[in-house]
Amino acid sequence: MRQGRIYTADELDADMELSCDVCIVGSGPGGAWLAHELVSRGRSVVMLEEGPYRTARDFDLTERTAFANLYQEVGNRGTDDLAVKIFQGRSVGGGTTVNWCSSFRTPERILQLWRERHGLSALTPEALAPHFDAIERRLHIAEWPEAAMNRSNRVLWDGLGALGYSRGLIKRNVHNCANLGYCGMGCALEAKQSMGVTVLPDAVEKGLSIYANVSARRLRILGRRVVEVQAEVLDSLSRRPTGVAFRVRAKVTAACCGALNTPALLLRSALTGGGRVGRRTFLHPLAAMLAVFDEPVNAHSGAPQAVYSHHFLDRGPDRIGFFLEAAPIHPVLAATVGTFTGADQLAIMARLPNLQATIGLAADGILPGDEGGTVGIRDQGFGRLAFDYPLSEATFEALREACKQMARVQFAAGAREVYSLHSHPVRLRSIDDLPRLDAAPWERLRLRIATAHPLGGCAMGADPATSVLDPHLRYRELDNLFVVDGSAFPTSLGVNPQESIMGLSRWAAQHVDAAIG
Amino acid sequence: MRPPSWQEAAVGKPMYIPPPGALRSRRSFLKRGVWGGLLLGLSGTGFLALRGSKLWPAPAQPLQYLDLTEYSVLHAIAARLLPCVAPAPTTLEVDVGLEIDRALDRLDASAVSEIKNLLRLFENGLAGFLFGRRTKPFTQLAPEDQDAVLREWQDSRLVLRRTGFTALRTLVMGVYFATPATWKGTGYPGPPAFHQPGLPVWKGGAEPRPLGNGTWVEPSPAPAPEPSTETEP
Repeated sequence: MRQGRIYTADELDADMELSCDVCIVGSGPGGAWLAHELVSRGRSVVMLEEGPYRTARDFDLTERTAFANLYQEVGNRGTDDLAVKIFQGRSVGGGTTVNWCSSFRTPERILQLWRERHGLSALTPEALAPHFDAIERRLHIAEWPEAAMNRSNRVLWDGLGALGYSRGLIKRNVHNCANLGYCGMGCALEAKQSMGVTVLPDAVEKGLSIYANVSARRLRILGRRVVEVQAEVLDSLSRRPTGVAFRVRAKVTAACCGALNTPALLLRSALTGGGRVGRRTFLHPLAAMLAVFDEPVNAHSGAPQAVYSHHFLDRGPDRIGFFLEAAPIHPVLAATVGTFTGADQLAIMARLPNLQATIGLAADGILPGDEGGTVGIRDQGFGRLAFDYPLSEATFEALREACKQMARVQFAAGAREVYSLHSHPVRLRSIDDLPRLDAAPWERLRLRIATAHPLGGCAMGADPATSVLDPHLRYRELDNLFVVDGSAFPTSLGVNPQESIMGLSRWAAQHVDAAIG
Repeated sequence: MRPPSWQEAAVGKPMYIPPPGALRSRRSFLKRGVWGGLLLGLSGTGFLALRGSKLWPAPAQPLQYLDLTEYSVLHAIAARLLPCVAPAPTTLEVDVGLEIDRALDRLDASAVSEIKNLLRLFENGLAGFLFGRRTKPFTQLAPEDQDAVLREWQDSRLVLRRTGFTALRTLVMGVYFATPATWKGTGYPGPPAFHQPGLPVWKGGAEPRPLGNGTWVEPSPAPAPEPSTETEP
């Protein structure tokens, strides 16, 4: 097949109609692997990506440039009430362009839960292993060596070790990585094996056409089939429509826009899945603890995440589990996720090199009754969606316990003092101060909660009464629409999601291919 | 006969707005945000709302989205959220207001109008009176009173006000610390010198893909091919 092409808004100045075997909406980990597998089978594939095509030459490693170009809603996405801040990628490559490289296979305990509770009997470790093997090989996914660990992760490693908590080294999708630590702004060295430098160009070589700056607005439905994807070209800077219309007629359509955006596309197309589209959206909602050390930590420098602890993932049948990782510290991230104000903010920012951030991420959607959030559409707002995420007592209990454990770990590693991210940060000078956290308000918008892992909203499952997708990821009410991204997950994962999304996508490609006919 | 609905019953009667926290029974009503909607509706009108703002000098470059009142409210807020002392540049030196005005260019129009409304509500004397018995606009208050107002928004029982505080705080902190001049006071070294703005961009078509870290090269020595068990049909 002839080599494909990547098109951008500056080349798309006239209305366009295309036909193909498969139209893939979204170029993140789900869309990229699906496209790669389909073009490898000789299928003609058109991919639409609403974000821009940005490459190493655009990545100046500043937060200003990164948020303006590579994140949903310029880094300001959140729940409607802003109680949860949401970091989600938005460019060719999706979240893989800006994530922190942490790579985990879907844990067997999650697959087992999905098999038992959601009837996903085909998703066994054995069935997925060849896909994870291929992905890990292609993306150079390997454990980050302990010797290369930065000081920030060393704090977590040492603290966990001192307390006897389980700990592990994180695998990363990098090749010739220079250990810079600016992964969240795009990799200037193309060392990060993001979709934009690996699988997508591989697929373009095999015939894939990618249209960047093209936002799918709705799917036109006739009977049980999607007959047309209706899209608009966006200005690559302002993100506003240029007035150029784009239509793709495909035998099969795959929505791979990621959680939040895929449900929104379906809802804009009046596909509600019996009221279940957009429901059960999970976040791995996280709380952070900020430790101050006497010596420099330089948490901006070096692989952002090298250590994890799953010690608290299983906290018994009545509690939400959580996992611990480190987070990098760059000024905008620290100042906006942090909660200090006034002179306190200036004082803490003046000690930036001495700060270490540990994050505790709650594994939501696993405890029965933990139903997650709900995506909706807004009457107004082109790039915005409605999203409500109720924060239950069980969630706050998990985050409170996570904060206490994080402080213990940080003190065990030698922290001078530790702060919570309450709107009035709780200052701890030793573990004797931990009870102070109990007295703090555990309420929405009195504690900073953030996420970079939106998942779910179009759950796959065997039971039509509880799922939107069948076990082959086909949208139940239509014959030729698939959802292949993190929104298909019926629960959260308890691990960073990128490799799970890739694995599911590479596995699902056979079913999408079979539907082409 | 059908009893009148509450809307019908309310016609012609003066609107009663309870002061915050006056009636416990109103809490669920407050939580639903109707109260908040009502207040947002106040943002541009009313007797107290018309009291003058203290305007800041216009920025060197023209504003695209904010008017001078909104710009001034933003600067008044920023000066309290970040009361900078040397060597940290002040929020005025960074011109946080102008930076936010520029950043709005990439936000959805609906988000821009929400931010403008929020700034108006913050400044509004009537809202200030209802919230905290103050009649002066925010920009006219003494610094310690401005701190008190910010604290009231931050700690309010109304989620809407906490949301508003979070939105404004995020905007101010985001643009201020995105400015390289502010890093000197933080010890942040800025981006390492690995950016290569001259790199070519590959878009496929007739052009062969250049080699890079992302291209796949079979590890050498290449693994021996597995013996094929297939037979010709």
